[in-house]
Amino acid sequence: MGSPAFVGIQRILVAFDASPHAEHALDVALSMAGDMKAKLFVLAVIRPPEPAESAEFHAVLEDGQERYEKCFVPLRERAKQKEIELETDIVLGHPAEQIIHKADTIQASLIVMGKRSHTILHRWMLGSNSERVLRYAHCPVMIVH
Amino acid sequence: MANTWALCALWVGLALAATLLAIWFKISTALSEIVVGTVAQLVIGVFLAQGGLAGNTQWITFLAGTGAIVLTFLAGAELDPVIFKTKWREASIIGLAGFFGPFLGCTAIAHYVLHWAIMPSWLCGVALSTTSVAVVYAVMLELGFNVTEYGKAILAACFINDLGTVIALGLIFSPFTVKTLIFVVVSVVVFAVLPFLTPRFFKKYGGRVSELEAKYILFLLFAMGGLAVWAGSEAVLPAYMIGMVLAGTVGKDHSLIRRLRTLTFGLLTPFYFIRAGSFVSVPALMAAPVTLLVLFGAKTLTKAVSVYPAVRMHKYDGKAGAYYTLMMSTGLTFGTISALFGLNHQIITQAQYSYIVGTVIASAVIPTIIANSFFLPRHLLPQTVKNVKTEQSIQRPVPAEEG
Repeated sequence: MGSPAFVGIQRILVAFDASPHAEHALDVALSMAGDMKAKLFVLAVIRPPEPAESAEFHAVLEDGQERYEKCFVPLRERAKQKEIELETDIVLGHPAEQIIHKADTIQASLIVMGKRSHTILHRWMLGSNSERVLRYAHCPVMIVH
Repeated sequence: MANTWALCALWVGLALAATLLAIWFKISTALSEIVVGTVAQLVIGVFLAQGGLAGNTQWITFLAGTGAIVLTFLAGAELDPVIFKTKWREASIIGLAGFFGPFLGCTAIAHYVLHWAIMPSWLCGVALSTTSVAVVYAVMLELGFNVTEYGKAILAACFINDLGTVIALGLIFSPFTVKTLIFVVVSVVVFAVLPFLTPRFFKKYGGRVSELEAKYILFLLFAMGGLAVWAGSEAVLPAYMIGMVLAGTVGKDHSLIRRLRTLTFGLLTPFYFIRAGSFVSVPALMAAPVTLLVLFGAKTLTKAVSVYPAVRMHKYDGKAGAYYTLMMSTGLTFGTISALFGLNHQIITQAQYSYIVGTVIASAVIPTIIANSFFLPRHLLPQTVKNVKTEQSIQRPVPAEEG
């Protein structure tokens, strides 16, 4: 799959995990979407513990859905005030994979995500989501520090 | 260690450490607790106290046992009765194939290749016959297969697979006597009555701060568990069945399930998984690592050989077939429950227990490690399933899009 021709910033995808870094990325994306009259997509990914165990998995799923839905309520209000078209989505899976998949599905012009600082051990064990998105995404990626 | 509170503090401290590790490394708490239990037993046993974590202390055994029972009940309660009713035939064939293949295959390999005695070999077969419903469900949700006919059949098959494991564990190792007959008859009556009695009872007396519902569930689990043990069976057998028969009623009461989860995760399961880990002998594993490899290979091979024809029989597309390999993943809960049952009843030795638990852990984590090491977005892989209608998002109560 090759990269499509760049026709301006029309759809911005923000990867959101409710962390301060993601909040910051969201602020930047909201500002950009307002200036560029772009549609904003906010994606939250629930990552199941590995390996998933029955009761814990369902608890993580329910908890994640509730938490992100709560986060999206003020966000929708902010978008409405700035007259930004907004779409929110909650999915389950590997964050990098789901972000790339969503970007492909909506044909995102730009992915905006926060940069989380991980230890070397953490990066070796789990990898960095932002690095993986940078490697595989078919559109420009903005990492907000 | 005679000081109960000090011992309790040690165990809860380990549970806290295991939870932190699970958060940092994004692994399941159960896995983290097993590993922490193994390491703590080794370190404390060598450097601090001869008995290590004192996992056979009576109150620890009680809390751990209760954890296993409630966890099994919760696993059974996650069954979707509607899916099961519509897909029972396919689910039964695939699920029974997924159970009998590894059960018989691993038993044979343990007996003829590893030269284990017959009873430990049967126990090994039971422990390695399980499938992790949660692992399968997680990937189904991730890929949107949970809403497809294929996904529903596979999910229901996983419950049948685990039911086979629980029934085998509950019946194979118990002598068939009049007590067994009484247990079976009483169980059938109780399982038939519960779906009608429970909702009515809860409607009349439930919804109060006195937690009548939790006490009712615990009473049922303990009473039927007691009957099972009296008959020479295993308490998790009725617990799983009670979960399944109440899945359509109690299982849908999210508030009650959440309260039970708080009790389970907060107090009970740490004792269960840390205890299960504490009995793993690291020296035994290091002395014969080939045994671990043989059991892991046996589990993977027999699962693939048995599940593949069953899935093909129902004309599921070969490409979609990539995902039934998920059924090879072993559930930590049922795998360790079976192994612990064998150890407690002296069916297997501590070394055999260590190999079985090691294999259970390996079959649960190796697919994950491989996936993380060779990361490539699944939807970009050439084998992406195109013939199955997918729906990416998780169903949720609030609409996703607002202007």
